[in-house]
Amino acid sequence: MQNAFFVSVFISILCPCIGIFLVLRKYSMIGDTLSHSSLAGITMGLLCNQSPVLGAFVFTSVCGALIEFLRGYFKKHTDLILTIVFALSVGTAITIISSGKLHTNADAFMFGSILTVTNADKITVFILSIISVLAVLLLYHQLIYIAFDEEAAQVAGIKVKMINYIFSILVASAISVSIRIVGVLVLGSMIALPVATALQLGKGFRMTLICSVLFSIADIMLGLFISYYLNVAPGGFTALVSVAVLVSVIAVKKVGSAIKRAAVKAS
Amino acid sequence: MIRAENLYFSYTGTPPYVLDGINLEIADGEYVSVVGENGCGKSTLMRLVLKLIKPTSGTIDTAADKIGYVPQKNDASSSNFPITVYELLNSYRKLLHRKDKSMIPRILDQVKMSGYEKALIGTLSGGQSQKVFIARALMGNPELLILDEPSNGVDLASQAEIYALLKKLNQENGITIVSVEHNLQAAIANSTQIYHLSEGRGHLCSPRRYANEFLKAKGRDDSIA
Repeated sequence: MQNAFFVSVFISILCPCIGIFLVLRKYSMIGDTLSHSSLAGITMGLLCNQSPVLGAFVFTSVCGALIEFLRGYFKKHTDLILTIVFALSVGTAITIISSGKLHTNADAFMFGSILTVTNADKITVFILSIISVLAVLLLYHQLIYIAFDEEAAQVAGIKVKMINYIFSILVASAISVSIRIVGVLVLGSMIALPVATALQLGKGFRMTLICSVLFSIADIMLGLFISYYLNVAPGGFTALVSVAVLVSVIAVKKVGSAIKRAAVKAS
Repeated sequence: MIRAENLYFSYTGTPPYVLDGINLEIADGEYVSVVGENGCGKSTLMRLVLKLIKPTSGTIDTAADKIGYVPQKNDASSSNFPITVYELLNSYRKLLHRKDKSMIPRILDQVKMSGYEKALIGTLSGGQSQKVFIARALMGNPELLILDEPSNGVDLASQAEIYALLKKLNQENGITIVSVEHNLQAAIANSTQIYHLSEGRGHLCSPRRYANEFLKAKGRDDSIA
């Protein structure tokens, strides 16, 4: 549980830091696709008797870079890109799992599990998270500019292509860090939902990012503790908590605006 | 400032060309409006000037080291983006490695947007957000300012303010301006030259000559003296 708590703290900080740029660029489905790529990476890691988290990071990075490359190639059919990478990833994962050559059960990675977080995972997660958060801080203004207007960013002299490739690796890092706890199937939600919740508050960029991190911490911690006592997979329950928090914020916002409108009418 | 020689461009790399043998020279200090029917290649020409795309053949060069760019207003993307006017300009200031924070209120004052620092971009009117994008382009002290339909989705009062500002930047600050225009009235009233693109080819002429050619083509005889 201690290891799980440690990893969860890093997930809740890193995921929204990456997720905010994915959501604002309308790329949140990339998170979903790459989380399936991570399953292929996990199976490859297990097949080679290496760390599954590291395997996930390497293969997801390759797939992230592939998406970026295909974005240039399929300019008019960008919807095809995710289908191609999804097919490659799930195809690889299913082939390896069904070959019977894995000596470990990959289910824990599908749904997330507190018990499977090892000390080696802890170290990998720690290193990946620190490097990724530092990279986001270093590229903060470039990433904002690219997310706001990619073409204007290019004119402003930002090396958009290179930063997009680096960003693909950062997405891969966030996903690899999260798979142990959250699991492959609902990983996309951890990247997008806290950001979607923070966006409801209608604040500036910095405040939206801070609120995303706060919502993410609340979602994961609540998900982790409640799932532990209910004896269910933390990934699924965390996703449910994220949806519940989002719905609650939307409801409070709607009620607040209705009260305001009523007050204006009355006056 | 800008020179294009035998410039050909097509998105497939083969004929038919969007730009079909363009030869163009824009001198320093000009205010050129690029006009023409929809799909005639105006925005493509600007993208070539900005080096966002490469010519199929021929050359296009600009002598400007610092280029400011005001893209076509896209309500859908900017209105949902959670960023304040100050955050947008401050981010750009940091990218430019400019330490002077006072440049933000100064430039906002120049575009008559003082007091809007804390406003979210998505809450601004079309004219206000266009002025913020012009402010952003001005932060790099550009020698050349390129605009893509600056009056698109902008109310008439704000249009007048924007064109007055562009004229001032051109005449008083010596910034060369190249603007893709649908607003022919504004193009004729404010530009020093008009570049008319039609079927991939273009010609540069004075606003008065363009107005007369335009009226003649429409079958009207009330030419401008």
